[in-house]
Amino acid sequence: MAEIKVECIGETCPVPLVETRKALRKAQEGDIVEVVGTHPSSKKEIPMAVKAMGLELLGVKEEKDGVWKIRIRR
Amino acid sequence: MQEKRVYLDNSASTRLDERVLEAMTPYFFDTYAVATSEFAYTQGIEAREALDEARLSLAKALGAEPEEFVFTSGSTESSNMALKGVALALGRKKGKHIIVSKIEDFPVLQSAEALERDGFRVTYLEVDNDGLVNPDLLRESITDETILVSIQHANQEIGTIQDIAGIGAICHEKGVLFHTDATHTFGRVLLNTRRIPVDMVTVSAHTIHGPKGIGGLYVRKGTPLSKWMDGGFQEFDLRAGLENIPGAVGFARAVELITAEENKRLRFMRDHAIRRILKEIPDTMLNGHRRKRLPHNVNISFHFVEGESITLHLDMHGFAVSTGSACFSRSLQGSHVIYGIGGDHERAHGSIRITLGRYNALEEVDAVVDTLADVISELRKISPLGKEKYGEEV
Repeated sequence: MAEIKVECIGETCPVPLVETRKALRKAQEGDIVEVVGTHPSSKKEIPMAVKAMGLELLGVKEEKDGVWKIRIRR
Repeated sequence: MQEKRVYLDNSASTRLDERVLEAMTPYFFDTYAVATSEFAYTQGIEAREALDEARLSLAKALGAEPEEFVFTSGSTESSNMALKGVALALGRKKGKHIIVSKIEDFPVLQSAEALERDGFRVTYLEVDNDGLVNPDLLRESITDETILVSIQHANQEIGTIQDIAGIGAICHEKGVLFHTDATHTFGRVLLNTRRIPVDMVTVSAHTIHGPKGIGGLYVRKGTPLSKWMDGGFQEFDLRAGLENIPGAVGFARAVELITAEENKRLRFMRDHAIRRILKEIPDTMLNGHRRKRLPHNVNISFHFVEGESITLHLDMHGFAVSTGSACFSRSLQGSHVIYGIGGDHERAHGSIRITLGRYNALEEVDAVVDTLADVISELRKISPLGKEKYGEEV
C-alpha cells in the first residue's frame, strides 16, 4: 500500500479538490492519499466529496498557521 | 466510485451517432483518397463525389448553393477565417473597424483582439440583461470605416438567440458585411441564408452528434474574403489543406439525422429542468432569455456557491455539466458572458450550464435536478458566502 501526498498550500477552491481527485484516480485500492492545504472551504469540501465517492475519510487535522491535513483511504 | 455517467454538456461535445460513423467508415478504409486526386485516379473521383455530395447537403440545410459552403476544421477555424479573411480583403481598401458583441465565443472575440493588435479598431457591443444586442446601438456603432459585424446566432453559455434577421438587415442597409457564429444553433434553430441577410455563417459538427475536427463556413457569393492559410488550392481556393472526406460525410449525415421531433423533445426537457430548478432550489436565477433560447440550454446561477464546486460534486454523482467560470485553468476568472449581461462576481462564478442532447432522457434530467438540490444544499452549508443563511448551527 502506498501513501500519496498532495500539496495544495496557498491554492484556492477548487484546485485542492481537483488535485485530490486526480490523486485518488491514480491511487490503488487501499492506498492512502494525504492532502495538505490552507483554503478553508476546501477543508470542508474535500470530506464532502470523499463521502460522495464512497471512500474512507481517515481524518481531518488542523496544524499551525491555518494549515490542514486530510487523510483518505482509496 | 460512481460508475454510471450522464453527459449533460452537449454544447461542448456530443456523443457520435452510430449512423454517422457508419456513413464515415468507407472513407477511412475504402475511399481514402483525397478529392484533389480526382484528376489522377478513380478513388480520387469517388472522394470528390463524396465531398461534393456532403457539401450539397450541408449547403441545402442553410438554404445556400454548394459553392457557398467551405469545409474547415471546425468553428474556431471558420470564425478566424471570417474575421481575418475580411480584414485581409478590406482592411486596406475600405476601413479598419470591426464590431462584435461582448459575449461572443472565444474564436470571434480573440480573432477581434488579434486584429486590434494589428491596428484594427474593434467595438465590443454591450448586450442587455438577457444577452440581446440592441439594434439601435449597433446602428449607431457602424461608421464609414466599418467592414464587418460579427454577432453570434446563439450564445454558447446562456443560450440566448439573437435576432440575426434584424441585425443582418441593419448591416446590409449600411453596406457592411455580417458574420454570425451558428455553432450552437445549426440543426437546432432554423437559419436560412436566402431569407436572412447574412454573409458568413460558422457551423460545426461536434455539437450535433457528428465528428470532431470538421466544420464549415457559409460564404455568400461575392463576399470579399482573402485566404489566410496558405498551401493548396482546396475549397474554392479559400482554405488550403487536405480535405477531410470522412469528416465531411459525417457532418452531412449528422445534419440529416436531426428532426423537428428531436428539437421539440429537447425543448420539453429544457423547460422541465428550468421549471423544477427555479421552483425547488431557492436563491437561483436563470441566465439568458426565457423564450429566445437554444432548445437544449439550461444556465442557472446559484447564489452563495461556486460553479466549479457544483460541477465537481455533480461529477462525483455521475453527472457531467459545465460552468462558465474558468477556475480550472487556475485563472480564477468568472464567465465573461455572465459579466456581459450585467452579472456580478458571485453570479459569474456561481453559474452552471446543462446542455442536453440526443442521448439524454427525461429521467436523467430529473435525476440531475434531484442531485443538484442536495449538492447545492450541502455546499451552501459550508460556503463562506451562504453561511449566514444556510450555515449549520455550531
